[in-house]
Amino acid sequence: MKNILISLLGTTLDKGFKENRWERWRPSVAICQHEDLLIDEYHLLFPTKFLRLANRISKDINIVSPETKVILHQLDFKDAWDFEEVYTGLLDFLEHFDFHKEEDHYLFNITTGTHVAQICIYLLTESRRFPGDLIQTSPVKLNVAGSYSIIDLDLSKYDKIAARYARESKDDITFLKSGIETKNKKFNELIERIELVALRTKDPILLTGPTGAGKSRLARRIFELKKLKASVKGKFVEIECGTIRGDAAMSALFGHKKGAFTGAVSDRPGLLKTADKGIVFLDEIGELGLDEQVMLLRAIEEKKFFSVGADKESESDFQLICGTNRDLHQRVKVGLFREDLLARINLWTFKLPGLSDRPEDIEPNIEYELKRYAEKTGDVIRFNKEARSAFLNFAASTDAKWEANFRDLNGAIIRLCTLALGGRITIDILNEEIKRLKSLWDTDKFNHKDELKDKYGHIIDIEQYDLFDRIQLKEVLKICNKSKSLSDAGRKLFAVSRLEKASANDSDRLKKYLAKFNLTWDSVARMN
Amino acid sequence: MNNAIEIDGSIGEGGGQVLRSSLSLSMFLKQPFTIKNIRAGRPRPGLMRQHITAVKAAAKICNAKVKGAEISSLKIEFYPGKVQSGTYKFDVGSAGSTTLVLQTLLPVLMVADGTTEISLSGGTHNQYSPPLDFLVNSYLRQINKMGPKVSVDLTAYGFYPVGAGMFTVKIDPAKELKQIEILSRGKNISKKAFAYSSKINEEIGENEMKIVAKKFGWLKENCKSVMVESPGPGNVVLLIDENEHTTEVFTGFGRKQYSLKKVVADAITEYTEYIQSEVPVYKYLADQMIIPMILAGAGRFITSEPSLHTLTNIKVVKKFLEVDISINQLNQNQWQVDISSKK
Repeated sequence: MKNILISLLGTTLDKGFKENRWERWRPSVAICQHEDLLIDEYHLLFPTKFLRLANRISKDINIVSPETKVILHQLDFKDAWDFEEVYTGLLDFLEHFDFHKEEDHYLFNITTGTHVAQICIYLLTESRRFPGDLIQTSPVKLNVAGSYSIIDLDLSKYDKIAARYARESKDDITFLKSGIETKNKKFNELIERIELVALRTKDPILLTGPTGAGKSRLARRIFELKKLKASVKGKFVEIECGTIRGDAAMSALFGHKKGAFTGAVSDRPGLLKTADKGIVFLDEIGELGLDEQVMLLRAIEEKKFFSVGADKESESDFQLICGTNRDLHQRVKVGLFREDLLARINLWTFKLPGLSDRPEDIEPNIEYELKRYAEKTGDVIRFNKEARSAFLNFAASTDAKWEANFRDLNGAIIRLCTLALGGRITIDILNEEIKRLKSLWDTDKFNHKDELKDKYGHIIDIEQYDLFDRIQLKEVLKICNKSKSLSDAGRKLFAVSRLEKASANDSDRLKKYLAKFNLTWDSVARMN
Repeated sequence: MNNAIEIDGSIGEGGGQVLRSSLSLSMFLKQPFTIKNIRAGRPRPGLMRQHITAVKAAAKICNAKVKGAEISSLKIEFYPGKVQSGTYKFDVGSAGSTTLVLQTLLPVLMVADGTTEISLSGGTHNQYSPPLDFLVNSYLRQINKMGPKVSVDLTAYGFYPVGAGMFTVKIDPAKELKQIEILSRGKNISKKAFAYSSKINEEIGENEMKIVAKKFGWLKENCKSVMVESPGPGNVVLLIDENEHTTEVFTGFGRKQYSLKKVVADAITEYTEYIQSEVPVYKYLADQMIIPMILAGAGRFITSEPSLHTLTNIKVVKKFLEVDISINQLNQNQWQVDISSKK
């Protein structure tokens, strides 16, 4: 393994032909005067008009270090302060250099040359166009050899820096967990991995997991962490795809031009544009309409898209984080989700566990929720001992379904705190809450909200309707699904009232009913 | 190949001396060795360039196989082969010392089967190793008493930091080494002082010699300031005490931002210490004599309190050979070292 050095002649620092030159630190010579560094091959780059100096330096190197073979190369810059010229000149030299990376160790001396040259040397090394390390030399009092240090740009090789990064990374992980000291091993590993990936990638990230598992909060924390690290400059924009439909969805995401459609009274940039150089979090991505999916895919890949009614493309460089509690592969199978889009957003997928999968994290999350409540209201609320252990017992039991996960926990704590007298949550208040939670989870079972949402969630926003309407709609749709046509379904649904009518207008009634939910027979029938 | 002896490089002074002594003995005895923990406790541990130069020179002379001779290496293996007398040229570079390299090679060449001529270039006068004048006047005088004829022809001085001195050593070997003892100085023959300077103001050397002449009342013609040939600047003050049985050399090294008074004072301090101790062998010669005397089978000398270097050499020798080495304090200032091999 030979040490092969490339160095620019220091037209100022290396100067000197008189005997007293030996009393000065001359970086190009001094680098060969170290007992623990042997330069086997020394490529000295010099401007033509400094040929005499280059020869002098070459001879002096030979005196102090007879083992070193000096090879002179002429390299002229019209303007040694011109970045482009210097970079190109050095790059040309390196491209013609016969590197044997495996066998030899290459060093570039960053001590000499203009500052521009030093910057270029750094850039060439950092981009591995120069496949070696940097060497920096400096003068030392009473020692003409001065000192040197080899700079490896792989920062992980420096203990202090590595330790600092590890510490920062630990801080970052805590940050991603909103400061909650979670104990669940799997969850902690997951967050560590997310931290690692989030800071390095600009590609889409997909967060899956049951509703209320904290996808939205995590997406926002990722954004805030990246903002802290200055790896995003723009805004964080969040939207739940289930809440936007049709034209509204298009315009919400991609913007519109004034007059693009009725109601488009002014230009709207759209969420993707707003998130330029920032992050877009599309929650419930599975609910996004097929047309929007096409547009989104192109926006991710080309960072360009058409606003509604625009004849010029908008540009936005955003990072996409998606959230879903659905099985997107299943959606692809039934034709409701584009396979190419899934492939694109499925690069980094992280599955967040529900609360019941992380029983050991219930307690730290309770603490967190109490703290948040205190921050919001100024009231510091505590459990008494009995209530705390009862709550923990219940929370980890099979009775506790935690169907909406952290959303449920958050709701429970807010209710407990609001009802707590004198800053204490007592066993009575707690028992009342446990009853409430149990009945909440039972109700959810009755209203079958999820069945309806699963099937039609992509075309209607179930949650904006009362339970009263949802129950009816569900049964209506069930009949529709079993029917051959609109009139067939109408006949079944209005079997009683149609008898009293002169003319049967079942089809029309059903059509109108469905229209209330923005549904058409076709869209319903397609679900069959 | 014989079984290699294992040497711990951290014994004694724990520096390059352990390595050099091991090399000398290994070549002479054709005994392979491995050495680990080379310079283990030093700020920059492991082999430095000058050590590698010594290892490579040694390997060349005795056709040795070497493993691990790389900078910062903590371990090397050395398997000596047949010694080849003849003509050699070694370029030591500025930081290393030619005298240390020569010392390493000398023992085996003193009994080789032919004359050897070695051209050495590099540092000849540097603060951390014996100056060439010591080697020639003091050490080689004793070596020549043992049978071989070793002479040095200097063409250029090599001062720190530039180095690049040049000299040739001619070694006419002896069939076998005579045993010698140095138990007294004998009658004084001469006391001389020299200031060697290069590429500096001539007055510096002259003033140094004035101080010496005044201090000891020596004759002006015995205190000479000489401008010498050297590629780089340098200055050294030498006090040479030649006696019937021994010659000792005391040195002060000129260096950047170090006044000439201090240079002279350094040499005078050592000289005075030697004179007052009344021993024939000063500390530097003492550690050099251990190996030649062992290789001759026996030897004896009186010196001042044995230095760490001397004790280190004794430890290394004991790794290679079964020897009796006794050190007895004779009085407050004098110690007698008795060496005999058990064979």
